Amino acid sequence: MLRTEEMLLNVGPQHPSTHGVFRLVLKIDGEVIKEAKPVIGYLHRGTEKLAENLQYTQIIPYTDRMDYLAAMTNNYILVHAVETMMDIKIPDRAEYLRIITMELGRIASHLVWWGTYLLDIGATSPFLYAFREREMIINMLNEISGGRLTFNYMRVGGVKWDAPEGWIDKVKEFVPYMREQLKGYHQLVTGNEIFMNRVKGVGKYTKEDALNYSLSGANLRCTGVKWDLRKDEPYSIYDRFDFDVAVQDGGDAWARYHVRMKEIEESLKILEQAVEQFPSEGDILAKVPKIIKAPKGEAFVRIESPRGEIGCYIASDGKKEPYRLKFRRPSFYNLQILPKLLEGENIANLIAILGAIDIVLGEVDG
Amino acid sequence: MLGLAKGLSYTLKNLTRKKVTYDYPNEPLPLPDRFRGIQKFYPEKCIVCNQCANICPTDCIQLTGKKHPDPAKKGKIIDAYDINFEICILCDLCTEVCPTEAIIMTNNFELAEYSRDELFKNLEWLDENDENIRKVNKA
Repeated sequence: MLRTEEMLLNVGPQHPSTHGVFRLVLKIDGEVIKEAKPVIGYLHRGTEKLAENLQYTQIIPYTDRMDYLAAMTNNYILVHAVETMMDIKIPDRAEYLRIITMELGRIASHLVWWGTYLLDIGATSPFLYAFREREMIINMLNEISGGRLTFNYMRVGGVKWDAPEGWIDKVKEFVPYMREQLKGYHQLVTGNEIFMNRVKGVGKYTKEDALNYSLSGANLRCTGVKWDLRKDEPYSIYDRFDFDVAVQDGGDAWARYHVRMKEIEESLKILEQAVEQFPSEGDILAKVPKIIKAPKGEAFVRIESPRGEIGCYIASDGKKEPYRLKFRRPSFYNLQILPKLLEGENIANLIAILGAIDIVLGEVDG
Repeated sequence: MLGLAKGLSYTLKNLTRKKVTYDYPNEPLPLPDRFRGIQKFYPEKCIVCNQCANICPTDCIQLTGKKHPDPAKKGKIIDAYDINFEICILCDLCTEVCPTEAIIMTNNFELAEYSRDELFKNLEWLDENDENIRKVNKA
């Protein structure tokens, strides 16, 4: 009988299927992972602590840098929290602009996931197709906000810029185009036998596990739990749109793939309706004081980001800076299940499992 | 095998599509007017109100003013204006608060330098940075 020894293997700190810097310490027995220990914090910038010395408007560019693949939702969560505390009514036009930009961001974020996930498990060309379409979204967001990834677009009370001329029409044209491309994506990847064998049954967990680990977003919905804050706790004007919540049974990487692909379709539905209902005129900024001071007290709000439930807690003592600011960053919570998923897995499945969780390290480390 | 063949047909269909890449840096990148690039500064417009330095989230703007040389005129004029591009995040808040539009974003984004010291840009440099200036500065 051949005796083997357990070995410690260091993975990273670098970019194995993550967007940011992540390190894993694995205890392996041959090719089987006995124990996995994630080491995080390489991208920690102390956003929450920095925010304690910043005015609310100054914090907005910092939120861009948490989940930089979908910065619009991060912008929104902060201004939404402050607006809730100050009880500000947002003009309709601003709300529509927010929804359109957030949903575009959601599609862009899922496209990055789709492209890079397939790249990680060995398919190169989907990445190029995904980034071709993502570039169109980024260009549109660049046109409206002036930034490609770090938009700094939302303001307490509304948005910074109105839509430039012809921008809404561009979004309108993009929706059918993207639908057509999505069909192509399914043709290219979804039916691919190699891909199916690679992801089916990989990284499987149950509904109870998902709930116990406080997973959210696609990671929760892939186990059949129908929970989407846009539907269940409508914020902004999401109650005006007709769309479905993407749910899939199975709880494996294959189910997560389907949930995200379906979510792109649903986002396109929302975009289509939002563009249709877009008010032809109106303010983009509510009447707010020049220096924003949240009233004394606290507030917690949560919204659905592409990665899950993002929350923001503000404790204010009435000054122009928050006393304490806390973000519930979905990637951080979703990553917690990784050691459990990796235990007893073959090392070849490591990247397929990690990638399917869809984390952004800027958000994990905060 | 059918799935693989289907995928291949998609790839073949895309062979004839127009290419979407740019020949950067041989050709300049097309950027929208609102793009946030390195700031242009107009010393003659500045009233030394300090709002840009106060709103800056990373504290990268340093400025000092001096008395107006013409004793008949009130107020201050700008003496020194430095932006530290080691920490500037081009967030656009300085141009947003400027009451006289003395500081404006341009479409220039190439900031690579051989030494970190060169990332300190002073008043003269920011004044000379006058290409591709944003046309509409406020919504």
